[in-house]
Amino acid sequence: MTMKGSDFSGLFGRLVVGGVLLYAGFMKAVGPSAEFAAAIAAYKILPSAWVTPLALGLPYVEMWVGLFVLTGFYTRRAALAAAALFILFVLTLASARVRGIDLASCGCFGSDTLSPRYTLILDTALLALSVMVYRLSKYVRPWSLDQALQ
Amino acid sequence: MGMTLKRILTGSFLLLAPVLTVYSVKQTTWGPVFAAPKERQIGEPGAKVVIVEYSDFQCPSCAHIEPTIHQLMDIYKGKVRFIYKYYPLTKIHKNAMPAAHAAECAAAEKQFWPYHDRLFQTQMAWENLQDPTTSFMAIAQDVKLDIPTFQSCYADPSRLAPIELDAKEAQDRQVTATPTFFVGDERLVGEVFATDGARVIDREIRQ
Repeated sequence: MTMKGSDFSGLFGRLVVGGVLLYAGFMKAVGPSAEFAAAIAAYKILPSAWVTPLALGLPYVEMWVGLFVLTGFYTRRAALAAAALFILFVLTLASARVRGIDLASCGCFGSDTLSPRYTLILDTALLALSVMVYRLSKYVRPWSLDQALQ
Repeated sequence: MGMTLKRILTGSFLLLAPVLTVYSVKQTTWGPVFAAPKERQIGEPGAKVVIVEYSDFQCPSCAHIEPTIHQLMDIYKGKVRFIYKYYPLTKIHKNAMPAAHAAECAAAEKQFWPYHDRLFQTQMAWENLQDPTTSFMAIAQDVKLDIPTFQSCYADPSRLAPIELDAKEAQDRQVTATPTFFVGDERLVGEVFATDGARVIDREIRQ
């Protein structure tokens, strides 16, 4: 099968979006969950009772969505889930900025620190890429599990 | 094999793979906590519940959590022991190591806790100074340290050894942020100590 430009774009988007989600989830999941719980608590959005369960669960959600996008398994739905995650992250980061909360690190990559400002830019770009993958995966694309399992 | 079955198996594999990978690489036990000198401990010496804090004198969150620590120590008087461990984050806080050094000199004169409290209370005054020595000397006078002894200690780089040991211990225990507390084996980082500290202490007391 000959690959078209849109196939390459879709593959590129999947690799970036899936790779980043997988990496971010993995780094948080292998580190102490208390570190991520503290990062979530610093945003001052959720009641304290929700912080620890979210710190335990969110890294796995990120890894699952990331792996589905990366491998192109239920690509369209996975890209939609990825876009939903990035919307959530962008809103959370923006809300912290608006409320004047000074975060040393966004807490997105476990022990790897990234300033909230750069994370906001990164998440916005990844949101755009997720939307692109969603639109391009209307049809089954090459180099995906969706194609292999057709 | 039917296509649906293939999809179910593939999906199951993709769901299980990250869980198993994390399970196989995640560190679930931490390095040991070495004994701290009694000058850096407060509370009941034989208490069942031990709280260890890894802290940085230049860290704003560490200063912010101080009233909570005092409050909890009052509530659980006689039931807990609190140990302070140095963890100056020297990459982002240039005066954290000199502050820890000064506190260690205060500990040598058995005045660690008053000096510790004053360092946090005056953090904003010295955190950005090119050379915070004058501020640290002023605190030494405030807490009635013997100034020549303090000066000689502060000039002695060998007094940094306990600080470096604590920092190494923190790294071995995967501590990456300050303040990090261990209540027994449970790790609480930053403001979570303020919201969950009492609950965890209660649980440790009941055990």
